[in-house]
Amino acid sequence: MTVIWTKNGIVENDPWSGDDSADRPKLLDLSQFLEHARDNEVLGVRLAPSDDVRQLEPHLDRIAMIAVSFPAFSDGRGFSQATLLRQRLGYTGEMRAVGQVLIDQVPHMLRSGFDSFEVEHGPTIDRLRQNRIPGIDQHYQPAPLPADRQGGYSWRRAAVTG
Amino acid sequence: MYRYDEFDHAFVAARVSQFRDQVERRLSGEISEDAFKPLRLMNGVYLQLHAYMLRVAVPYGTLNARQMRKLAHIARTYDRGYGHFTTRQNIQYNWPKLSDMPAILEELAEVEMHAIQTSGNCIRNVTADHFAGAAADEVADPRPYAEILRQWSSVHPEFSFLPRKFKIAVTASERDRAAIQVHDIGLQLKKDEEGRLGFAVWIGGGQGRTPMLAKKINDFLPEADLLSYVTAIMRVYNLHGRRDNKYKARIKILVHETGVDELTREIEAEWAHLKDGELKLPDADIAAINAYFAPPELADRAEGWGEIAAWKKSDPGFADWVGRNVAPHRHPDYGMVTISLKPIGGIPGDASAEQMDAVARLAEEFGHDEIRVTHEQNLVLPHVALADLEPLYRALLAEGLATANAGLITDIIACPGLDYCALANARSIPVAQDISNRFGDPARQAEIGDLKIKISGCINACGHHHVGHIGILGVEKKGAELYQITLGGSGDENASIGEIIGRGFEPDRITDAIETVVDTYLENRTSIEETFLECYRRLGAAPFKAALYGGAAEAA
Repeated sequence: MTVIWTKNGIVENDPWSGDDSADRPKLLDLSQFLEHARDNEVLGVRLAPSDDVRQLEPHLDRIAMIAVSFPAFSDGRGFSQATLLRQRLGYTGEMRAVGQVLIDQVPHMLRSGFDSFEVEHGPTIDRLRQNRIPGIDQHYQPAPLPADRQGGYSWRRAAVTG
Repeated sequence: MYRYDEFDHAFVAARVSQFRDQVERRLSGEISEDAFKPLRLMNGVYLQLHAYMLRVAVPYGTLNARQMRKLAHIARTYDRGYGHFTTRQNIQYNWPKLSDMPAILEELAEVEMHAIQTSGNCIRNVTADHFAGAAADEVADPRPYAEILRQWSSVHPEFSFLPRKFKIAVTASERDRAAIQVHDIGLQLKKDEEGRLGFAVWIGGGQGRTPMLAKKINDFLPEADLLSYVTAIMRVYNLHGRRDNKYKARIKILVHETGVDELTREIEAEWAHLKDGELKLPDADIAAINAYFAPPELADRAEGWGEIAAWKKSDPGFADWVGRNVAPHRHPDYGMVTISLKPIGGIPGDASAEQMDAVARLAEEFGHDEIRVTHEQNLVLPHVALADLEPLYRALLAEGLATANAGLITDIIACPGLDYCALANARSIPVAQDISNRFGDPARQAEIGDLKIKISGCINACGHHHVGHIGILGVEKKGAELYQITLGGSGDENASIGEIIGRGFEPDRITDAIETVVDTYLENRTSIEETFLECYRRLGAAPFKAALYGGAAEAA
């Protein structure tokens, strides 16, 4: 079973999941999206790991959701795509990690700016339901997820608590 | 040296408990070995032929006595009483139990050590010149920059699942003792005309099955831009490095296939966005990290000059050892002492718990509490007064640590090979031992002079055979071990990749073949001043091929 998880918990009735139907918003791959980008419709984009996210730059105001794929947990391109989307392009909408999403990668994904997760892996779903995320609060580098400057040096950050 | 602050302690403690949780989930079967593998690797835990192996990070090869004692304690308590120092200035334990790993990591944390990113497809332990902070020829200590890189790269959210492993080395002198041209990123700390510090940046060097020398992409990167520039390199590599074939996934292949000019343009374009952002290093932070590496106060000890001359005269063994294993220090009354972990016939890089304890004690007594691990698998006491060399030598002798062979033919680098490693095709250690025994006579070694032999038990080249003056590569052919010889490699500022000389040799013939190569050099050198490498570069492979194969060399 696939579930959608965000910081607020499991999402019921996710508008992007389920059967194809006319009133469901569309999740398009990059080339389809670029074809339809001039339509006046708000769309979602599903990026492949090799896609250049900078192509989305002129269209960000019409994007309601960007799904970034992790075809294997070892394929880390999505972390750079996410960082570019948040930091370079200033995308503020929903950004969802899809594909092989495992609990031990979730802390990295959160820091990279993901705020939504499509998860199939049972033990990962259990941990997320219990909100037991195995992250470390001390960070040695800035990242898209806002964090406090802490620890004395310019490159250090600490997780925002509470 | 660097000391953990509260932030570092909290980070490492959190990392240990994170790993404890991962090990528990693995032992309970909640996560598969497949999913556990990248997690354990990022904490330095490998599954080898016979057991799990733990690789502990020694950042830029710097240790104090307390840390060395802890390494001895771990060897004694959780392993079989010894450890193995590696070509990444780290230490490996070959026999710990998976269930003990969290406890070992906790013990390491007590002395400000860890095993983070000693493996896996992430940024590995940053290495540096083992004489850093003591060498007369450096422009500044490179270790503060290695420390900044170490911190910045630790559990980096963007760069923990790279196409392949990523190695960074930093040196600070023209004479490159850190082999920066065979690293994914090599940094040479230097000064510009105004005396400001910065780096020459090299990328795309590496060994493995496709050895390549690095290309210089920036001749002077101001020190403040270190992290933004490295981030730009890493991001371009993470997005564009090949992921379809693990043997083509290192950045060297990206450099090769994209072309260095085009790739440099991409890196510079990415850097333009990052340059003046939050990764810019404030002077105050650079100064604060530098302060940790302030050199020890070295009192003048001019009496050593006279004493050492007298001791040398009365003890030829001591004289040999000083001649080979003691290098000039920035302070004229001091020396940099190499403690050889290459006893004749021994296993390169191995040290017993007792030896580690002894080195710790001697570092406190004579060495201002500093120890270095070299990428050539030896130890160094970087600050020893000449006046203390004689008692230090006596103490090392008693521990079997006074072999006077630094840089000589028996100072061999060897990977663990088929005796331990799951990847190996052939044994490395017995070959190293056999060669060491063959050439063990001190007079013969001295006659041969500077000669680096490096042995790898498979094409992954952990034993750095590509940059050995004489390289030996173990391969498997029809179920039997065979050893190929490469000649003319070098990992220094005049780096070169060794050339395969011809078909390989069986285990019982490889030492004879090495002897033939050495004899050919001795017959052909212009004088004792001409080293093996110089002679090879002058003559090329022909006389060596003729000696080995009788003129009709075939490719292996």
